[in-house]
Amino acid sequence: MLNTFLKGEAGTRLRFSGMLLSAILVLLSVFTLSQKGLDFGLDFTGGYLTEFTTSQGVELKELKSFITKNHNGEFELTAQGNSHYQLREAPSDSTANSNDWQSAITQNADINAEVLSSAYIGSQVGDELFEQGCLALFSAMVAVMLYLAVRFEWRLAVGSVVALVHDLLLVLGLFSLLNIEFNLTVLASLLAIIGYSLNDSIIVGDRVRELLRVKSNNALSPASIINSAIKSTLTRTLITSGTTLATVASVWLLAGAPLQGFAIALFTGIVVGTFSSICIAATLPELLGLSAKNYEEKLDVKTQALMDMP
Amino acid sequence: MLSVKKDQKPFMAKFKLSYIAMLIVLVLLAISALPNLYPNKSWLHVSNAPHSETQDVPSNQALVTFLNNQGLKVEQGLDKQATINILLNEPTKSAQAQAAIKAQYPNTQVKIVEHATSPPWLQNFGLSPIKLGLDLNGGVLFVLDVDLDKAVDEQLVSAYQQAKSIIVKQKAHGLKTQQTEHGFEINALPNAVQKLTPVIDELQSRFANLAVTTTNNGNVKNAKFSYSEQGRSNFDKEVMSQTLTTLRSRIEELGITEAVTQRQGKQRIRIELPGVQDPTEAKRIIGATASLGFYQLKEVGGQTFNMQSGGTINLEPVPIFTGDHINNANIGRDDWGKPLVQLSLDGQGGDAMSAFSKANIGKPMATVYSEYSQNANGETVKKSEVINVANIAQHLSSRFSITNMKSQQAAADLALLLRAGSLTAPVTIVHEQTIGPSLGSENISNGLAALMLGMGITLAFMALWYRRLGLIANVALLLNLTSLVGLMSLLPGVVLTLPGIAGLVLTIGMAVDTNVIIFERIKEERRKGRTPYQAIQEGYKQAANTIFDANITTMITALILYGIGYGPVKGFAITLALGLITSVFTGVYVSKVLSQTLYLKLAKKAGVNAHA
Repeated sequence: MLNTFLKGEAGTRLRFSGMLLSAILVLLSVFTLSQKGLDFGLDFTGGYLTEFTTSQGVELKELKSFITKNHNGEFELTAQGNSHYQLREAPSDSTANSNDWQSAITQNADINAEVLSSAYIGSQVGDELFEQGCLALFSAMVAVMLYLAVRFEWRLAVGSVVALVHDLLLVLGLFSLLNIEFNLTVLASLLAIIGYSLNDSIIVGDRVRELLRVKSNNALSPASIINSAIKSTLTRTLITSGTTLATVASVWLLAGAPLQGFAIALFTGIVVGTFSSICIAATLPELLGLSAKNYEEKLDVKTQALMDMP
Repeated sequence: MLSVKKDQKPFMAKFKLSYIAMLIVLVLLAISALPNLYPNKSWLHVSNAPHSETQDVPSNQALVTFLNNQGLKVEQGLDKQATINILLNEPTKSAQAQAAIKAQYPNTQVKIVEHATSPPWLQNFGLSPIKLGLDLNGGVLFVLDVDLDKAVDEQLVSAYQQAKSIIVKQKAHGLKTQQTEHGFEINALPNAVQKLTPVIDELQSRFANLAVTTTNNGNVKNAKFSYSEQGRSNFDKEVMSQTLTTLRSRIEELGITEAVTQRQGKQRIRIELPGVQDPTEAKRIIGATASLGFYQLKEVGGQTFNMQSGGTINLEPVPIFTGDHINNANIGRDDWGKPLVQLSLDGQGGDAMSAFSKANIGKPMATVYSEYSQNANGETVKKSEVINVANIAQHLSSRFSITNMKSQQAAADLALLLRAGSLTAPVTIVHEQTIGPSLGSENISNGLAALMLGMGITLAFMALWYRRLGLIANVALLLNLTSLVGLMSLLPGVVLTLPGIAGLVLTIGMAVDTNVIIFERIKEERRKGRTPYQAIQEGYKQAANTIFDANITTMITALILYGIGYGPVKGFAITLALGLITSVFTGVYVSKVLSQTLYLKLAKKAGVNAHA
């Protein structure tokens, strides 16, 4: 059914309206990011984080007021699920008072808490992790761009990279909009999204390149070549995205709280990545003037050998 | 495509050879994956503390009864002469049992040791299950920051003081020492220039990394001492490796066997202590910077130290010897029942002590206990305190005691630290994490559930969508998972973490991509009117380029993630990268062989008209 949609002019129109939608979404993401920022997790801010369960169900409010009595500094208490709580403190708090409340809730018979895990990260380490994370994202993008520049015609490479930036911005925008904690595993999933988004873009781009090289296609307009490239890869794109989404969804559903952010980021990343591989990675080169001629010239150059490398 | 027929014979031979090689790889990886079906069990090893004089190990039966009474049900207790090995019904409670035994029988050493449960023939191959990260196993993580700047400063101050004492010792009158911004300098008056060289030589023999620049300033010869860039980096390297060694032996003293201690970045040390549940003891010992020095008293001049009992005292700035020369240290009690630490010195320390005590019978000697601590501004400061001043009653040799310890705990800690060695640089804990064993096992079961569901959906979909080809893809997928698990068990240094499991699940989802690309190509070729066999050949050939491109880019991001990330993130990067390798192997090569064999057989049986 989608195939018929993509035939001829209808497909081109669909692609361009998709690109417009993407542009609007990117603007919205940038807006929320600049207004609200990201809710950085302990990994990046530093501080104390304690997770505990209570044997009986306790009201969050009651628990909060109980801990306030035994705690000198500021803290943030959140419920993580059925009688499972998380308490976060700023790094400046001394360890002394953080132990007070812990012994208080573990010894209180009504609450009878059990501490599951605790973490302390110095604020300096948090800053370093953040820097390293940015460095990782940046170097991954540069490395991938270099690889694409060697393998592809520059217009296709630009299309893929723009699609990639688009995917990352939309995921970050969603995290900012919904106030989901941004931690180290989410950062890792952003890097996985880079890999995944490119994967999709490359497969479409590869097909465009292949069709452009076929001599008999010279008469066709770039738009229709791109349309037919998308059409022939659409089943694959949908199946792979589908199975990957299914596995990511099962991580989301079953792997528990520690991987929630990771799964949400990947899920969104795959959805927008699939979308952008069609609407941006394949459409932008057309706007940049991609045509069969680009490949005719290239065929004689020795890059051909490089391109056909298995 | 007539050539296909002509090539049939040599092609078949080549095909058989690669087929065998592939089979060998698959079988090897499958065997390496096998031990994961038999997870390790933690046992408790109870033996005499290596440094205690008294024998305190209870009988096997007494120990089992004691643990059962504590609510820690024992599954198995084996008496192995010097040690008693105990397996609990719930091995996650081993840490609790360890603490209980230690409290009941203080002179024993209790270690938690992982025992493999796989069949002996697997163990004989040296195969073991995948190592689990802290988030799956439970345990404590510390990241320590080593204050290298402080260590350099200390070293320079020490060199400065030694320079002063060398000058006094060599009676080099006319040499003046002075501290500068980046070190110190010695100025030699014209009549003492020739005395400068032996002092410099002596100093450089003690501080190898110290750089000297001499200048003539009119009549005065000036020697500046500081650390060059090269010397500084050598010094840093030495301090880091010494700190690592010290920390490792401290952890060993604590009875933790499976610890991971590694350098992280320029001046960080990452310590993972699986199975440890209470970080307080480990923290107290690991972060401790206590060191001992023995000093001669000085009436006039010298360095002023605080006394523990109050007041101040002047001591010779250079110690007679330091805690580095202590071979062994045990706790004991003096005649009044107060705790003390018995020391035995190594050769060098023994000689120094012997020579000093012989010459100074009747004179006092001070024991200085130094420790780094953080002041209100968060700066690290060294606090030195004279814990006792005793008259040397007789000629001492390599064995003597330090009395006047604050408490039994203080004595025990000092003895442990003296055995394990002291830290030259102050360390601070910048990252600490404790993961309870129940959370760890919950993470494992959640992760496995996600893996099963994701895998189930993928397998069902592929089987329904591609029918016969889908079966091949599914076989390839299962082989992929087996190979990946095998590879991860085989490679040293690979640790499975919770994000690692997520990577595993993701790999499963993405691994089918390879097969989907190929199968779509095959369908296309079939539509063009190719025979099934030709379509398969063409499909694999055409798709190779695309698959290569797609996987390389993901590999780039995985490698960058591995290079930059730490801990759990590294685990994710490893599974992602290894998963790419195995999925290309199984998805392209193995499934190609499978589909060729399948269709070749079918084609032979049903003639040319086999269906895709």
